[in-house]
Amino acid sequence: MKIGRLPALFRTTTFRLALLHASIFILFSASLLAYLYYETAGHMGRQAETELNAEFQELSAAYRGGIDRLNQAVTERSEARGKFFYLLLDGNGRKLSGDFDVLPAAAPEGQVVDVQFDYDARTFDGRPSRRTAEGRISRLSEGGVLMVAYDLGQLGEMNRRISEVVWKSAAVGFVLSLIGGLVISRSAAQRAEQLAKTTEGVMAGDLTRRAPVHGSGDEFDRLSEQLNAMLAKLERLVISSRSAGDSIAHDLRSPLTRLRNRLEAGLKETSTEGRLEALNNSIGDVDDLLETFNAVLRLSRVQAGSTGSFRRTNLKGMVDELAELYQPVCEEKLLAFKCQSKEDLYVMADTHLIAQAMSNLLDNAVKYTPPGGSIRMTARHGASGDVEIEIADTGQGIPPQDRERVIERFVRLEQSRSEPGSGLGLSLVSAVAEAHSGKLVLGDGDGASASPGLSAKIVLPAA
Amino acid sequence: MKVLLIEDDSTAAAFVKGVLSDAGHFVDVCGDGESGLKQAKGGDYDALVVDRMLPGLDGLRVVKGYRDSGGRAPALFLSALGEVDHRVEGLQAGGDDYLTKPYAPSELVARVEALGRRATGDIPTTKLIVGGLEMDLLARTVHRDGQKIDLQPREFRLLEFLMRHAGQVVTRTMLLEKVWDYHFDPQTNVIDVHVSRLRGKIDKDFDRPLLHTVRGAGYRLEA
Repeated sequence: MKIGRLPALFRTTTFRLALLHASIFILFSASLLAYLYYETAGHMGRQAETELNAEFQELSAAYRGGIDRLNQAVTERSEARGKFFYLLLDGNGRKLSGDFDVLPAAAPEGQVVDVQFDYDARTFDGRPSRRTAEGRISRLSEGGVLMVAYDLGQLGEMNRRISEVVWKSAAVGFVLSLIGGLVISRSAAQRAEQLAKTTEGVMAGDLTRRAPVHGSGDEFDRLSEQLNAMLAKLERLVISSRSAGDSIAHDLRSPLTRLRNRLEAGLKETSTEGRLEALNNSIGDVDDLLETFNAVLRLSRVQAGSTGSFRRTNLKGMVDELAELYQPVCEEKLLAFKCQSKEDLYVMADTHLIAQAMSNLLDNAVKYTPPGGSIRMTARHGASGDVEIEIADTGQGIPPQDRERVIERFVRLEQSRSEPGSGLGLSLVSAVAEAHSGKLVLGDGDGASASPGLSAKIVLPAA
Repeated sequence: MKVLLIEDDSTAAAFVKGVLSDAGHFVDVCGDGESGLKQAKGGDYDALVVDRMLPGLDGLRVVKGYRDSGGRAPALFLSALGEVDHRVEGLQAGGDDYLTKPYAPSELVARVEALGRRATGDIPTTKLIVGGLEMDLLARTVHRDGQKIDLQPREFRLLEFLMRHAGQVVTRTMLLEKVWDYHFDPQTNVIDVHVSRLRGKIDKDFDRPLLHTVRGAGYRLEA
């Protein structure tokens, strides 16, 4: 068995997070409790020690006046019934004065020893009780032993209690922190699990699955939102490529059939002239087909995002240039053409794609606006600061309910079927706008209310 | 013109050879990059037509190798890869023009002939003359039979391109690429309208037209 193959629970992030949480919690509580102990029990111990030292110093001072002077001092202190117990023995080990009859602990071999011992005492109501004391035993320079001790009673009890509390809280804290850690990380793990479930569902082929968004705006929500946006785009692409496949089949079948019929009819032609005409027309059909193919390829490339380099570009120049290119053809068709571009309009763009998109819109405007109408091209910063290039005409326009639809591939409205075109123009414009993080907005143009015309607006983020 | 065609697809090669031969050019064909490069270095060609995708040595490296060895004949790439990036790659490798498949035969002929003209017309000129039409490139003026013709800047560039390729067929796509620098085909006849305006200025008041429409191909300026 490899070390890496831990039981399932221990391998989960949940468990590791819980463990980490518990460890950190324990570290904190341990330092907190240590501090608490130091400041309470520790403090009391240290205070008793200080007092014991002071007592010994005073008695040493008395001893400088001789053993009798010390004896007197001990007797006085012992009778005063203070905090301390005393015992003074002479060189032969006989008691001179004090509260005990014999040394409760072994006399030190060296000079001084700190001891802890138990002794029997009586409570106030006379019952015997065994108590603990702590003290110091010191040999006197001229023989004899002095002991000073104090009852641990209260102090010991306090100490014990504090220690008990500290240990119990540590144990409870450890369990609580483990539980807390598990709860917290469980909720995180559950969110992760939901995301995993969503992706599993998508992989199984259900592209409509979406990760739940709780609305808290946390990292998981952001992740979910991103995932959902990605899935939405994926779904759109899949659907559009599916429908593109269908549309290609549908849209290419009719021209191919027409081509076939023409060629067959050409075969039956007897006159050279008729055959030539059939051939020429066939070439025209093939050219149309190729143009459609090219448009499909271009669109796919733009949609796949494999576009060339984006550079910071001023669109004003391009707008003016395109206006110059289209002005004559508008005049030829008796259309009033107006171009309004005054400001510098900087965007991050692939200039060739943008030029192509604008040219598609201008082509449409020229194609679908009857003579006597007008075409307006306006390039400016919109209210939101985005760069807007609008091409508005007074043609037949697109009914509001069809505006979404015409952006899809190969969709051609009934009234435009007679015009040449692949039905990919607006799809391409929309794809180009999206590739630039912008959008294509269709609306009413400049015409009267009966035929409002079309306004096509490319909106791009300013750079 | 003597043209070397480097193309691995034999059907396409036969087609291109046929088209160029019909237009009166001599065409040698090589089926792969290595032999093509060798042939180009050895032969004295007026133009190379190179498929970009070739087995072994690809088209870009053929032209690059040819340029590195001092070859000066202009090269035209034929490619199914038509993005602007690809075009730029082709030109950086030493190509002079780039034609995306599929293309019309007339487009191919026009472009090859335009290349041959460029190779011989390398000497800087200050004056272009076609029949009675004179263009002064320094003063940026145009006269026909001594009569001054006023042109817009873009019309001037359009006419300059036509005069530099006088006698040759120039296609609409070529004009859009070389005069406007656009690499897509508008669905409307924008180029035709510009050409017809130019024609109105240079031909209208004169007996003999210089600017001719070549049906199904493009335009030709010829005295």
